[in-house]
Amino acid sequence: MRDAYDVIVIGAGHNGLTLAAYLARSGLDVVVLEARHEEGGGLCTEELTQPGFLHNVHANYHTFVDMAPPLVDLEVESHGVTYVRPEVQMASVFDDGTALTVHTDLDRTCESIARFSEEDAETFRALYSEAHGFVDLLLGTLMYQPPMSLKELTKALSAFGVEGRSKFLSVKLRRETIDTFLDQHFTHPKVKAHLAFHGAVCGYANDVPGLAMSYPLLVGKIDNWNLCVGGSHRLAHALWRDLAQHGGVMISDAEVASIAVEDGRAIGVVLADGTELSARRLVASSVDVEQTFLRMLPPGAVPAEMLERIAGGAIAHQPWSLFSVHLAMSETPRYEAAAFDPDVDRAWVVNLGYSSTEELDADWREVRAGRIPDVLRPNAAVNSLYDPTDAPEGCATGLLRQFAPYSLAGGGPAAWDDLGRWVGQRCIDAWRRFAPNLTDEAIIDWAPYSPADIPRKLRNMVQGDWMMGEISLANMLDRRPMPELAQYRTPVQGLYMAGSTQHPHGFVTFAPAYNALSVIAEDLGLDKWWYDV
Amino acid sequence: MPDVYTDEWYDAVRDAMNASAAKLADLPEGAFVVAIEIFADGCSPYVEEGRERRFLARIEGGRCAWYRELDSAEDERAEAGGRVDYRFRGPASSFDELAAGLADPIDAALRGTIKVRGDIRFLLRHADHVKALLDAYTSSVATTWPEGRPPYGGAREGGARASEEAAAPEATAGA
Repeated sequence: MRDAYDVIVIGAGHNGLTLAAYLARSGLDVVVLEARHEEGGGLCTEELTQPGFLHNVHANYHTFVDMAPPLVDLEVESHGVTYVRPEVQMASVFDDGTALTVHTDLDRTCESIARFSEEDAETFRALYSEAHGFVDLLLGTLMYQPPMSLKELTKALSAFGVEGRSKFLSVKLRRETIDTFLDQHFTHPKVKAHLAFHGAVCGYANDVPGLAMSYPLLVGKIDNWNLCVGGSHRLAHALWRDLAQHGGVMISDAEVASIAVEDGRAIGVVLADGTELSARRLVASSVDVEQTFLRMLPPGAVPAEMLERIAGGAIAHQPWSLFSVHLAMSETPRYEAAAFDPDVDRAWVVNLGYSSTEELDADWREVRAGRIPDVLRPNAAVNSLYDPTDAPEGCATGLLRQFAPYSLAGGGPAAWDDLGRWVGQRCIDAWRRFAPNLTDEAIIDWAPYSPADIPRKLRNMVQGDWMMGEISLANMLDRRPMPELAQYRTPVQGLYMAGSTQHPHGFVTFAPAYNALSVIAEDLGLDKWWYDV
Repeated sequence: MPDVYTDEWYDAVRDAMNASAAKLADLPEGAFVVAIEIFADGCSPYVEEGRERRFLARIEGGRCAWYRELDSAEDERAEAGGRVDYRFRGPASSFDELAAGLADPIDAALRGTIKVRGDIRFLLRHADHVKALLDAYTSSVATTWPEGRPPYGGAREGGARASEEAAAPEATAGA
């Protein structure tokens, strides 16, 4: 390990690696320091159950494929990354034996919705068509550039008269919930439940005021859920490979203990083993705000008032998390609802039972109060349906995810350690209710992964917050994670924030790193070779 | 009344945009190069099948300094000095309809008919100015359409350029 680099990036998640790879391609001498034993962060694939069964422990759904510039700029395909876009993307199965399926083929999705409501099918077609049209524009505006303020955005939408041109976009969406949006445009409870479920799986709870603003965008990519062949960790390998090919270095088991600051400028880091590394140009943190500011920065590096606010909970975290069950199976699920819609057996992700937005709302209330809902309605993904390399021949992998609290009422997060197997079994029972072939014999092995396990593995997912910051109007755009940090710079010169704490949010978007890169390029006067209009 | 896509017409468009911008206060500072790419879609008689038309405009202090047609991407690189700030790309009939005042540029961008690339934040922050320029482009220049005026109907078989109906010179009145 050398003791001086141009750039030190803290954290080798996809954002840290992406930023590092771009800067290495820009000719800078870059090192990425990772506290864990391997790179990837949320791009974590492990044989949690049995050898040969690959389980995506965190990131499973890649919804920005074909949209995120780094996938092209960093040539991840040439580094061995392949994506599959499942033909039947998602489904809902309901207690009465019916099912709704979302396809990559819009006509087929509309046919499925029409079995519940022809009017809703037409509305969905109109919404999808409109949203799909402006996805590019909005992504370019809202995601892959440093954030504007909500005020600026609404003023512009008003000046351009967007409201009058769109059936679905409206300034008032910034005050409304996704439920309200769905009630205004759709009629059938099951159609609304499925569309709300889609938002929830994306991290957008349907009962939070203001999130209706983002909902048309979510619909615009409802059919762009992609699976990384061989597990999500393949993408991490590819990013690392690109970094290495351009002279960058990733060092694992290298926990950063502190960031060295001199005369108000970040000049390097000190590792937990005492090793000192200096940074000639900059330090970028892709980990959480709490670690960066409360643990790594020395006293006096930033205003005390700012530290007090961070310590006092100024960083808003998602008030819900995910309880997961990873399964090794000898067969894929065969849903009873396949008698109604055979495509449900080919659906990659299935909502197991939410049949109204009210059911979802009731569960959000329970979860936010720290309680596990009485009736579990997890969602189920079978990656091996579309990526046979995920499981031994003839076998299958399964992933169940239930919306759940991080801290349980009465017992806190530690209470999950006693409840994990019990809740896991209940999730499996919930799946079995719709797919009775998943008997004990069909399930070779399974492993629970609770909200409390999340920060144990990835400590920057504070409080089991897999989005690394609440998805809410108050924590969006130039307010995320707090106004002083929203433009990727910090009060410490030469220290940048580049992880999912930043705009836009978590998920495999690459956007926090891409936007931080843009700011860094301006500050360092780098040629933006990647930016080609 | 200038023919569409001629030097005379480009000058008229430029003057119309500048007249519109002159009515606004607080014009954005700085200079920007805007590239426009119009590709053949089998409908418009103004772009031959398999070809593209390319334009470059320079906006200085909120006003259009020049607006010209280029022969190739190489010309674009040479003229722009390697720096293009915004790029608008879309099918020929859509651009023809904009020039004829028959289509709305904001609609076209929102629906993805015309793709917009560049720092959209700047465009949003100067929405009033952008809108004034676009309005001038789409409705202020009286234009002659020597090979027929839009709308054209459906795609033409084999990309044939002109039906009898479309071949007659017509004009669109400026607003």
